[in-house]
Amino acid sequence: MALLETQGLTKRFGGLTATDDVNLAVEEGEVVSVIGPNGAGKTTLINQITRLLDPSEGDIVFKGESIVEAEPHEVAQRGVSKSFQTASIFPDLTVEQNAEIAALGAEHGSFRLNFFRHRNQYPGVSEGTRKTLEAVSLWQKRNTPASDLPYGDKRRLEIGIALASEPDLLLMDEPTAGMSPEETNATVSLVETVKEELGLTLVLIEHDMEIVFGISDRIIVLNRGRVIAEGTPEEIQGDPDVQEAYLGGADL
Amino acid sequence: MSDESANPTDAPETEADGGKTLGGSASENTVTRLRTRWEGARDREVTVIGLTIVGVAVFPYLFARAPVVSDLLQGYQELASLMLVWGIFAIGFDILLGRTGLLSFGHAALWGTGAYAAGWASANITEFPLLVVLIGVSVTVVLSVVLGFLSLRRGGIYFAILTLAFAQMIYYMASAPLSFITGGDNGFTGVEIGSFLGVFDLGTELPSIAGTLIGTWRYAFIGAFLVFSVAAIHRVLNSPYGIVFRAIRENEQRAQFVGFNVWRYKLAAFVLSGTFAGLAGALFTIHGQYVPLSSLYWQTSGEVVIMTVLGGVGSLLGPLFGAGIYLWVEYIVSGGYPFEWIAPYWLLVLGLVFVSVVVLFPEGVWGLVGDLRRRVATRLEEQ
Amino acid sequence: MSLVSEAARILLNGLQTGAIYVLLAIGLSIILGTLKFVNFAHGALYLIGLYAGLLISQETTFSGGQLAEFGFGTIGLDWGFLAALLIVPALVFVLGIAMERFVARPFYDRPDTDQILLTFGLAIVAQQVVRVLFSGSSQNFAQPSWAAGPLQLPLIGGFPQWRLWVIGITAVLVLIVYALIEFTDFGLTVRAGTQDTEMVQLLGIDISRPYVVVFGIGAALAGVAGVVGGPLNVVNPTVGTDILVPAFITVVIGGLGSIRGAVLGGLILGITESFLIQWSLVIPSLGIDYGFAPWSQVGIYAIAAVILLVRPQGLLGSEVDVS
Repeated sequence: MALLETQGLTKRFGGLTATDDVNLAVEEGEVVSVIGPNGAGKTTLINQITRLLDPSEGDIVFKGESIVEAEPHEVAQRGVSKSFQTASIFPDLTVEQNAEIAALGAEHGSFRLNFFRHRNQYPGVSEGTRKTLEAVSLWQKRNTPASDLPYGDKRRLEIGIALASEPDLLLMDEPTAGMSPEETNATVSLVETVKEELGLTLVLIEHDMEIVFGISDRIIVLNRGRVIAEGTPEEIQGDPDVQEAYLGGADL
Repeated sequence: MSDESANPTDAPETEADGGKTLGGSASENTVTRLRTRWEGARDREVTVIGLTIVGVAVFPYLFARAPVVSDLLQGYQELASLMLVWGIFAIGFDILLGRTGLLSFGHAALWGTGAYAAGWASANITEFPLLVVLIGVSVTVVLSVVLGFLSLRRGGIYFAILTLAFAQMIYYMASAPLSFITGGDNGFTGVEIGSFLGVFDLGTELPSIAGTLIGTWRYAFIGAFLVFSVAAIHRVLNSPYGIVFRAIRENEQRAQFVGFNVWRYKLAAFVLSGTFAGLAGALFTIHGQYVPLSSLYWQTSGEVVIMTVLGGVGSLLGPLFGAGIYLWVEYIVSGGYPFEWIAPYWLLVLGLVFVSVVVLFPEGVWGLVGDLRRRVATRLEEQ
Repeated sequence: MSLVSEAARILLNGLQTGAIYVLLAIGLSIILGTLKFVNFAHGALYLIGLYAGLLISQETTFSGGQLAEFGFGTIGLDWGFLAALLIVPALVFVLGIAMERFVARPFYDRPDTDQILLTFGLAIVAQQVVRVLFSGSSQNFAQPSWAAGPLQLPLIGGFPQWRLWVIGITAVLVLIVYALIEFTDFGLTVRAGTQDTEMVQLLGIDISRPYVVVFGIGAALAGVAGVVGGPLNVVNPTVGTDILVPAFITVVIGGLGSIRGAVLGGLILGITESFLIQWSLVIPSLGIDYGFAPWSQVGIYAIAAVILLVRPQGLLGSEVDVS
């Protein structure tokens, strides 16, 4: 059984169909990349899976259960995490507190009546916080306010927040956008390491084809909201439809 | 200033980092070490409670009886009590405004309901002060849930408008249709407060030194609730709620995406702050033995907003100072001697100060004091 | 009085009450819709319009306040009501533009709460300045002589003429603003900005100028409301903050950024209020004779609560959330 499945997922904005009858299945442990030209519907697809947007039609199944009626926080609690395209962090909090919030969310659930219980009664949280920050190499900077971090570190913290909530499925929206080549390399190896260590399933939206072809087990190509191709990197590379979609068949 | 909500175990590390930025060689300095110990200790609950108790105990003496100081401030015992009552209101309000980032313009409804419920209970059910307070708080908690539920249906800017609107609805209910309970425009007059534990008349003075310092039993009664409130809020801020509230304030969507039910935490923040508003309202009745209709009017909501912002949002004790400053200006400065030159303009001055705090010093008076303290500390270390 | 004539009277009174709400709500609503700016000082613009109108149209003797202390107890240009009706909107329009430039603009990027705190503070300052100058006591704003007294209407009988004028002036102004927003290029930009500010900017349209004008128009309408509303009630420094709350409710009921919504909301509130003021439940056989006048203010908030529960975005509001 697939970990994540979308069935006939369609989202219309007025007259525009942003995703059109998208059926995809992501198996456990896979790295799947979603690519496509600008406006192909990639981000809309992710936003429906995280339940930020309501699909117009179709169903989303995660771990065998439909999540199409669930609230975003419920989807997160079930094990879907997302790293945002822009660093969506808690700017005035320290790096450690940023990760602590996410770890707390994973450890302690969506809501509890424990407002008189001291936070240090949750040792699992500080453990998770430290592990995450070490994984994204920000433990040394744990006392820095997040807003003072350089851009690359902010993006790593963003990924760290997504990891600290202990997901089974991690959706990454352009994790290397705006990064220097060094930062990009570091991020790619970071993604590969955490994937190995935590046994994550990854769905990646990415523009950098080098990364996509290097890291993916499978690639899904969207164009104008539709899946036009799906397969291993080798299969995608030779697909004429894909080359057509990317502006007159430039060589990938 | 947010030290109190940081994890206590972090404090020494935070300080070490601070020492580094101030210049490496100075970190061995005695002052730094003392400061490290001081800041570490300050986070501990016992310290916070202890300092609050000392402050509450000494304040009436300084304000109303001490030589020189009390002459300068023109303070008196009953105003000291009133400051504590509003102080509880303001520190509770800050759970919502300073921590969670939600601005309510409807807390008059909660404060006023606490006051009316306490007054009504004292006239009809029991004269025991503790029970009167308990009834006032309980009724307010129920109302907070309803009001919070309605006002949080829409996000963002709607919250301030909706809290304001529903609070005004309650004001108009009390003013006319329910005037057979509330006394309408005349306010609620039948308040009957008995003696504490059936023994101590709240109006009398405490014996010996305690009387000199603290003054009346009424002040002691209210002061005990202030200490309790500070302790309770300190604990809440160090519970998971504290950090979730801050997460919501900083980035609501992110907080949702790491799995928190943001809506419920907002409601929780509203109800928690409503609880303290109800407590303060009930104590207001015990203090004044009368409930004016204006306690429900939106000007009261505005006052607690001003106090909180003036004192410093997001700090445990800042709003307390804000309440003190506001009431001091309202009761002493507006009264004339020796402030005749400014008395007619007192609210205009407060308004202007409030606007400049919003524009220039978002951390309020408490933040300025903190800056000053840090600057002095830096100066000391450099020497 | 027959049922029909009573209903007609309730309707007219409701239209008049609602008219003032509409004038305030349109400004609040379009400023909120386009600029995403929450203006708690909107009532202060009403207050300023009111006092400016008072000073332009007549001579008033103030019993206290700093002006009286300095020997200016009786002041006013005494140019008549029409002059006030023409000058005040222009004056408050300029004030609105200044407010956009110096108050709102630096705060567009700050959180909503900061905007509310700032404008709330300014509302207090404005109210206190008026109080310091003219004292807190209530003044009488005379109805224009050409519209004083009752007018004999079919069905209803005598009805205060000025109230009809209020309805008429409001209707004309609302139509002008509606046409401006609905049928001009300026209006198109404003409407597009209500939908999606970023998109309009991407299309390369300079929205800062239309926005300034939007602010000015909203302010001018609040000023007019002060002038035409002045003779209906007593005049004192708290009227501005008092009227702000129902104006906000009007916006919430009607839906954000919608002129038609503001009109609908204002009418619903006005008519509810006038209905409750006039209506009593009389059942002689049971000895019941209960007037609902005390519930008139409660009623408008109850209606707001119900609408909000059933249709959170307001009656004519779009689904798009402002956050």
